[in-house]
Amino acid sequence: MSDRLPATCFAVVLALCAPLAGQIAELRARADSLLVEWQLAKQFADLQDSLRLARERGGRDTIRVGALVFLVNRSPLPLREAAATAWPQIERFYGPAAQAFAQRPFLIQAVDPDTNEDVPPGWAIKILWNTEVAPLARALITIADLGPLDPALRDWLGGVVVPRFDSGPGHAEVYIQLVTAPSQAAQRCYRGDRAACRDALSLSDMTDPATRWYGPDERRALAAMEFDSPFAGARRREQAAHACEQGSDSICLELLRALPPGRLPPPLDYQARLTLLETAVRVGGAGTFQRFLATPAGPMGSRLAAAARVSEDSLIERWRNDVLAARPTPVPLPVLGAWVALGWIVVFGTCGLRSSRWRVS
Amino acid sequence: MFRVVLYGQWKWSRIVVILGTIAGFALPILSVQGTTNDPTSAMKAGELLSVIQSWGVLYPVLAAAIGLLVAIATWAPDHRGRHVLALSLPLPRWRYVLLRFTAGLVLLVPAMLGVLAGAVLASATAALPPGLETYPVALAIRFALALGVAYAVFFAISAGTTRTAGIILGLIGAVIVVQVVASAAGIELDLTSPFLAVVMNLPGPLAIFTGRWMLIDV
Repeated sequence: MSDRLPATCFAVVLALCAPLAGQIAELRARADSLLVEWQLAKQFADLQDSLRLARERGGRDTIRVGALVFLVNRSPLPLREAAATAWPQIERFYGPAAQAFAQRPFLIQAVDPDTNEDVPPGWAIKILWNTEVAPLARALITIADLGPLDPALRDWLGGVVVPRFDSGPGHAEVYIQLVTAPSQAAQRCYRGDRAACRDALSLSDMTDPATRWYGPDERRALAAMEFDSPFAGARRREQAAHACEQGSDSICLELLRALPPGRLPPPLDYQARLTLLETAVRVGGAGTFQRFLATPAGPMGSRLAAAARVSEDSLIERWRNDVLAARPTPVPLPVLGAWVALGWIVVFGTCGLRSSRWRVS
Repeated sequence: MFRVVLYGQWKWSRIVVILGTIAGFALPILSVQGTTNDPTSAMKAGELLSVIQSWGVLYPVLAAAIGLLVAIATWAPDHRGRHVLALSLPLPRWRYVLLRFTAGLVLLVPAMLGVLAGAVLASATAALPPGLETYPVALAIRFALALGVAYAVFFAISAGTTRTAGIILGLIGAVIVVQVVASAAGIELDLTSPFLAVVMNLPGPLAIFTGRWMLIDV
């Protein structure tokens, strides 16, 4: 009896699967036909895109400055002068890697500032043609982004690579972040703990950022903030409202770990990371970016340090010194304001002296 | 002569001076109540700056209030007495007004010192997170200047005739009326913003009142 059981079961399964086999073949045929349709639709979409691009590029001048290539409609926009101002800085930052711009032309649409007509849609960067040279050069530096050459860099930065060296205000902003960010990693970094700086900037492998960035109190506040939303699940909101806020750090951690990747706010933002990249380029010289692109994938700290040809610790120390040196000037008493106030006291006092109120009749 | 004028003004405005001094002394101390050495209940740097900034709004308000009340108290008895005392004194008009103005400025000193003492005491007792510093002297100097400007403005207005005050108020009212009418008619006309920009930004007379009043900052 027991010897016959497996054979019986096998026969039953075969009998049940016979009609399914026919269905699978039919479904596969339908899926294949859908694939053909999708490929056809994609070809049409690509054709449409290339036609639109060709239309946008048509009738445009080509301006080349260094490796920068601009396709721009005819207008008084001082693009060549601005590009001539911007290119040396871009080249100094990216070094030999800047030649990549030759293969990545910028499509510029100079827009009449006085027109009421709608700006034509498209991929072109729209700029008013009465923009002056200096702001236009700054804009060109901002759009000179080679971040797409290294997706890991772009992900880590959380924004575009801006090839700048004059980020005094940027460093000052980072100083304020270091002092005020509700993160123990940022505060320890401010006090000189290089490992904490590494954590706060996500320079090493960040398997559990909630514990590396934040202390228990900070995690409690973060969990309360993140899950105080109608989009958070009811159970999680309940947990956040009770267990976590009542002091259960393990529940807070569980909640924060359940957040989608990238949702947990880093203690130091894009600005801080961009200043670190800037420090690396300043330390390593013009070839830094090229070397960075050549480094194998891995933690961002070691890649930046290798590109800058210094140790990771000394790169971080250099960055931290730059940030601390850019401490913003406190604002309570502007010197000019004090003198102006004294002047107004004298002015109004003199007005009082000249009053005629007591010439009573 | 100055002592007599000062004594008279002190009698008329002592309540304002005393209350203003107490308020000026208390304000910085109250603003740092959230700081503590206990790490479990201490405020984070960002929170502390936010609280200090909120309290900071009260410094220019206090300066304007004390300046206004002392300036009114300076002239009120003269106005009530129809300036008989001033006219009976063997003094040129400008000298009498100068005595009144200077005496009023002297009466503002206790409030200025109150803020300085309060700010120094608050700075000495506050437990600050790393990276933050206190600026008691700068805050007290700024308060003194704002107090001086407020007093001078209201002194000049009080010393003027009713007609002068009417002209100033009329001009301000006219600007507001024109702005309202233009907005109602859909005309793009912005008179109030340029006016406020002139008055509130440097080198405008009220620029000292604007901006952040921070006893504690980075």
